Amino acid sequence: MKTFKTISLTAVCLVLGIIVAWQYRSVKMNQVLAQYEKKNVSEIIEELLIEKNNNENLKQRIQELQKEVDTFKAGETGVRENVEALERSVLAARVKAGLETVKGAGLIITIEAGGLKTVEDRHIEELINELKASDVQAISVNDERIVAMSEIRKAGDYIMVNGNQLVPPYTIKAIGQADNMERSLRLLGGVLEKFQYFEFKTTLKKEENVVIPAIREEYIKTDMLTPVVQ
Amino acid sequence: MSKGLRAITFILFFIFGLLINLQFKGIIMAEPKNGATAKELAAQLELEKRENEKLMEQLTNIEAEREMLWRNIGDNLNNQEINELLKKRDYEFLRAGLVTVSGRGVVITMEDAPAVGELDIEEYIIHDNNVNDILDELKVNGAQAISVNGERVVLTTKPVCAGPTIIVNESRYPPPYVIKAIGDPDVLYDAIENMPQVAFMRLTNIRIDVEKQEEITINRYRMYSTLENSLKGLEVVN
Repeated sequence: MKTFKTISLTAVCLVLGIIVAWQYRSVKMNQVLAQYEKKNVSEIIEELLIEKNNNENLKQRIQELQKEVDTFKAGETGVRENVEALERSVLAARVKAGLETVKGAGLIITIEAGGLKTVEDRHIEELINELKASDVQAISVNDERIVAMSEIRKAGDYIMVNGNQLVPPYTIKAIGQADNMERSLRLLGGVLEKFQYFEFKTTLKKEENVVIPAIREEYIKTDMLTPVVQ
Repeated sequence: MSKGLRAITFILFFIFGLLINLQFKGIIMAEPKNGATAKELAAQLELEKRENEKLMEQLTNIEAEREMLWRNIGDNLNNQEINELLKKRDYEFLRAGLVTVSGRGVVITMEDAPAVGELDIEEYIIHDNNVNDILDELKVNGAQAISVNGERVVLTTKPVCAGPTIIVNESRYPPPYVIKAIGDPDVLYDAIENMPQVAFMRLTNIRIDVEKQEEITINRYRMYSTLENSLKGLEVVN
């Protein structure tokens, strides 16, 4: 009887120990998983929204192209229409590249040093990057058009954009959703608040007709690029 | 003795029962709440991604078909005007970043530090600023085409930090970040290697490899809407 009791007690203790260990591990594991999953859910949702939006746009684009191809095949388009369609796409590409002067609603921002600190290239760069992040269509600094490969650098006390020296006050023009752009610039701890700290004098004005000049033809270089036929 | 043993056994079984109860509850509670939503969303995302691939393929096919039709018009009708325009269009598309290109240049690979040391964790991961600094340096040194993880850099490209990943042109990419640039390989290589920011990042074991290459291919800008739609709100001034 005594041996039986000892054996049964040992068995219970053994099972208990295993369960405690198991429980401990599973609690720890759940904590790790929950943390990981929490981070992932918001990330997954964000990515899902982007992906859905992309697919929606893609479907529209494909439909549009299909229509074009169909009318093409049906022989319904005359020579004149074809020429016009091609000219339109040439112009659109030139606008995209920044080779055409454009007009539209947007923002005009001026920046000038007010205290001891001068306005530097990286301040302008920061401002421009903020605009890029809020769906801008065209940007210029003192009427120098910013294009895909535009460089902004320091040149003594001034800045150089596209190889041209600019002097303050700096006027940045941007065509796009003015409200969105203004909001992202005015964010707490955003670019404008930082500029205040440097005692820069800044003005920000919404305009219906912002005109942004084209970049010089020779600025966009392609001599090192070989088109790849797909 | 027998009473003491009984009391101990009672306590043991009590705890035993409690634990089984807890464990059971834990399993029931934990599974559906955390697992299903994340799993469901991930599955949905996977579906959308596959759909995206299919649509991209469709788009490529239909673009090729339209291109053939254009060329046919030019050739069959021996239409000089169309042929001239097609040539002009190809050139303007090349300048706008709408054509895939190849050439000499550098490939830069950036990856977060493998382990966190005694500094703040922020010092061991790559931020959008770090990527932007490198893009600016490449532009200053004459790069003619740049891509970040396969996404062509155009005017509106601005890598944005989103947790441990970055968003470039509407798509999300985890590290490593691969920046390709076509330009003079020696100039670009020296410029990047001499950046103080690069030296700082290397101090915290962030990996930055710069490699000169003779043949780099850089994708065209992936357009999800028509060229004309993407320019909404702009009016050309002559």
